[in-house]
Amino acid sequence: MKIMIDQQVLEVNPGVTILEAARQHGIHIPTLCYHEAFGGQGMCRMCMVEVRTSHSRKVVAACTYPVQSGIEVQTSTPEIEKGRRTIVALLYRNAPDSGFMQKLYTDYDCLENGLAVNNGERCILCRLCVRACEEIGSSAISAVLRGTEKRIGTPFDEASAVCIGCAACANICPTEAIAVEQTDQDRTIWNRTFTMVQCRSCGRSFATREQLDYISQKTGLAGLDLEVCDLCRKKKLAAKIEQFAR
Amino acid sequence: MMPQIIEADKKMVLVCCGTGCLANGSMEVYQELQQQLANSNVNVSTYTKATGCNGWCEKGPLVKIMPDDITYCQVAAKDVAEVIAKTIGKGELINRLLYRDPKTKQRVKSHHQIDFYKKQHKVALRNIGEIDPASIEDYISRDGYQALNKVLHTMGPGQVVEEVIRSGLRGRGGGGFPTGQKWKACTDVEASVRYIICNGDEGDPGAFMDRSIMEGDPHTVIEGMIIGAYAVEATAGFIYVRDEYSLAVKNLGIAIQDARQKGFLGENILGSRLSFDIEIVRGGGAFVCGEETALMASIEGNVGEPRDKYVYPTEKGLWGQPTVINNVETWANLPVIINDGAEAWASIGTEGSKGTKVFSLVGKVINTGLVEVPMGTTLREIIYEIGGGILNKRKFKAVQTGGPSGGCIPAEMLDMPVDFDSLTEAGSMMGSGGLIVMDDRTCMVEIARYYVNFLAGESCGKCTPCREGLKAMLEILSNFCQGKGSDADLQFLMDTSETMQMMSLCALGRTAANPVLSTLRYFKDEYLAHIHEQHCPAGVCRDLTEFYIDPEPCTGCGLCAQHCPVEAISGEKKEAHVIDQAICIRCGECRNQCKFDAVMIR
Repeated sequence: MKIMIDQQVLEVNPGVTILEAARQHGIHIPTLCYHEAFGGQGMCRMCMVEVRTSHSRKVVAACTYPVQSGIEVQTSTPEIEKGRRTIVALLYRNAPDSGFMQKLYTDYDCLENGLAVNNGERCILCRLCVRACEEIGSSAISAVLRGTEKRIGTPFDEASAVCIGCAACANICPTEAIAVEQTDQDRTIWNRTFTMVQCRSCGRSFATREQLDYISQKTGLAGLDLEVCDLCRKKKLAAKIEQFAR
Repeated sequence: MMPQIIEADKKMVLVCCGTGCLANGSMEVYQELQQQLANSNVNVSTYTKATGCNGWCEKGPLVKIMPDDITYCQVAAKDVAEVIAKTIGKGELINRLLYRDPKTKQRVKSHHQIDFYKKQHKVALRNIGEIDPASIEDYISRDGYQALNKVLHTMGPGQVVEEVIRSGLRGRGGGGFPTGQKWKACTDVEASVRYIICNGDEGDPGAFMDRSIMEGDPHTVIEGMIIGAYAVEATAGFIYVRDEYSLAVKNLGIAIQDARQKGFLGENILGSRLSFDIEIVRGGGAFVCGEETALMASIEGNVGEPRDKYVYPTEKGLWGQPTVINNVETWANLPVIINDGAEAWASIGTEGSKGTKVFSLVGKVINTGLVEVPMGTTLREIIYEIGGGILNKRKFKAVQTGGPSGGCIPAEMLDMPVDFDSLTEAGSMMGSGGLIVMDDRTCMVEIARYYVNFLAGESCGKCTPCREGLKAMLEILSNFCQGKGSDADLQFLMDTSETMQMMSLCALGRTAANPVLSTLRYFKDEYLAHIHEQHCPAGVCRDLTEFYIDPEPCTGCGLCAQHCPVEAISGEKKEAHVIDQAICIRCGECRNQCKFDAVMIR
C-alpha cells in the first residue's frame, strides 16, 4: 500500500508500523524505548507523529500505529518538537549523570527550568532492559510499583532466583543505569553474584555459569561445547570457511 | 408508571441499606423492624425490605412506608417501636422523623415532595430504593428481564444494535463514545469468540454512582449485558469490580446465581439460540484499571497498564478477541431503551447527549448524595435546587466535575447545561459523573495540587508524559503552595500540561492536566498571588496564611477558642480574643466557626 511520510510517497507492507515504514525508507523518527528486535512499546512517546487522513488529524505514536493506505505522516511539527523537548527535559531530571541524556538535553535545546534534578540517577524507564530480559534472559526483572514511584527491579528487590546474570539488561541500557560489577572470577548484578566461566580457547571470562546452563537447557547442546567465547567461535568458523574456500 | 409491588392490604416498609445508610446504622433499624413486627400486635400485615441506596445519604438511614408514601429521615433503632405503634398501627405521622423543608420550615410527608427528588428523573436508578437487590422476583415484578425476552423473541441482533444506535446512548464511563457504534464495530469484525465487559472499576474520589447501581439493582446491569451479548453475539461476559466494593460483589454474585437458576444466563437462554454467562472479576483497586485496555490487561492476569488504542478493543480486546466494554450505568440504561423504545428513551436530554446522567453530588453542598437528572440540566439547578445550595450560607466558588482528571468550573458558568460536549468545551469533562462543590474557602492552587497528587500515585507510570509530567507538576504546585516559584515555573507547568494532553498514552494521562489547566484558565489570579505576593487568597495554604481576630466584630463569644485544637486562642468573655501566632497551626477552624466573620487572614 502507499502512504506518505514527510511529503514522500512510499510503498509499504500492510501490518508494519509507521516507525518501521519510516526506518525502511531511511526516514528518522526519534525513539527511546524502541528496539527493532522487540517492536514498539509506545512508552517514551518521543516518536509521536502527526497523521492525517481524509477526515482526521491526530498525533499518534509511530512505533505502535499500524499503517493504513493513504495516510499522510508528518514526523515533525512545531508542536511535536515542543512536546519532544518537554519529554527530554522531564526525563533528564532522572538521568542527569548519563552522557546519553546530557547530549539529548543539549540537542533538544531544553530550556533551563527551576526543577530539581535527581543527581546520581540514570534510569529513564524505557524498559529496554525488561524486554531484553524477557527475550534473551529469564524475565528476572520488570517494572515495579506504580505512577511516579515506578522503577525497574527484581521481585521485592531480592536477589532473583531466575536471573542468569547474562547482563543483557545492562548491555542494552542507553543510560548505563544498571550496575554491573565484574572481575575475572565473578559478576554481581541485581544483588546477586555469579561465577564467571573462562573461554576454553582464549581464557577470557565471557559468561556466567548460569547463563551457559540456561543456554544448554534451551538448545540441548552439551555444556562443554558452549564454553568457547563468541570471538573464538567466530575465529573457528572463519578458519573453517577459509579452509573450505581453498 | 411502574407497577408497584404492593400486595393489597399490606404495608411495605423499605429500609435503605445502601453503604451510606448502613454506616449510619440502618441494618440495626432493619433488624429491629423485622423483630418487632414479628412480635407486634398491630392489626396490619406488613413486610419489610432492605433496599439499595436512595441517594439522599445526607439524611440516612431512610425508611419509607408504602402505600402511604411516608419517608422518615435519620431513623434510629430506638425509633422503631414508635414507628410501628403510631405510623404502621394507626396511620399517624411522627413529625420529628419527617424532613423539614429549610425554606418553608414545614415538615414534608413524602420524599416525592422534596426538592432533592422533585427535579430528578430516574432511569438508571429507577429500581434502586424500591426493590430488594437480593430478590430477582422484585426485579422481575418491575418489568425486569422483559427487555431480554423482547430482544430474544422479537428482534434480530442487528435490530438491537440499530435500536441502540437510534437511542443515541453515549458511554457513561467517561469517554462518551456512542454505545451503538461501538457494538456495530464489534459485529463488523469476523470472529468466533466475542466478549462483553462491564466496567465497574469506579475509582474517582467521592464518586459512587456505579457502586450504588451494582449494590442496589444488580439485575439491570446483568440484563443489559445479556442484551449486549445477544446483539454482538458474545459468549462470555465479565464484570470487573473493585474488591473494596464488597456489597456490590456480594449482590452481583447473588444476582448472577439467581439469573442462572431462572434461565436468564447459561445455555440457550429462554429457549433461544443465545448461550452466555457472566463471571465477576475483582480488581485490586488501581484507578488506572478503569481505563479499558488496562482493565482488560488486568482480567488477563497482567499488570494493569493501558496500551495504545489504534486498534480498538472492538477489534482486538480481551485475549485479542473483539470485545464490547461499557460502564455500569450504560448497561443499566439498556433494558429501558429496549422496553420503552429508543425514541421514548431519547426524548429526554439534549441534542448531542440523550437520556439522563447520574451524578454523585458531594462537597460543600447541603444535600449530598446521588442524583439522576436529564442531560442538559444546568449546574445551578443541580447544586442549588437539588443540592439545596452551599453549606453554611457560604459563597459558591467552583464545581469540580469528571473525577480527578476533570476540571473546575467557576461561578460564571453555573448556567451551563451539563452534557458531554459543554463540559469538554469548558475544559472539564463528564467523566463518570462526580460533582464536587467548593466554596469560597477553597484554594484553587491547593485543589490542583491535591488532584495532581492523587493522579501521581494512580498513574500506571508506563508513558513518559504522564509519569514524569505529573511528578514535575506536583513539585511545581507544592512549591506554589509554599509561596515558592516563578513565572518560568508557570510556563513549564503549561508546557508540561500541553505535552501530556497531546502525547500521553491513555485517557488518564491525556486528561491528567485538566485540574491544572482549568484552574489556570479560570483562577489564574490565585496562582499569581501565590507566586508574586506569597499570599493565599482563600486562606488555605498554611505557609502563606496567618489568622488574626479583628477586635471590632469580635463579640468574645469564645466559640473559636473552644474549637481551636491547640489552644492558641485566648480572651476574656465578651471581649475580643487573640490568636497566639507561635502556637497556631493555621488549620482555619476558628475562621470556620466564627459567626461574626471576625477571624481574618493576612
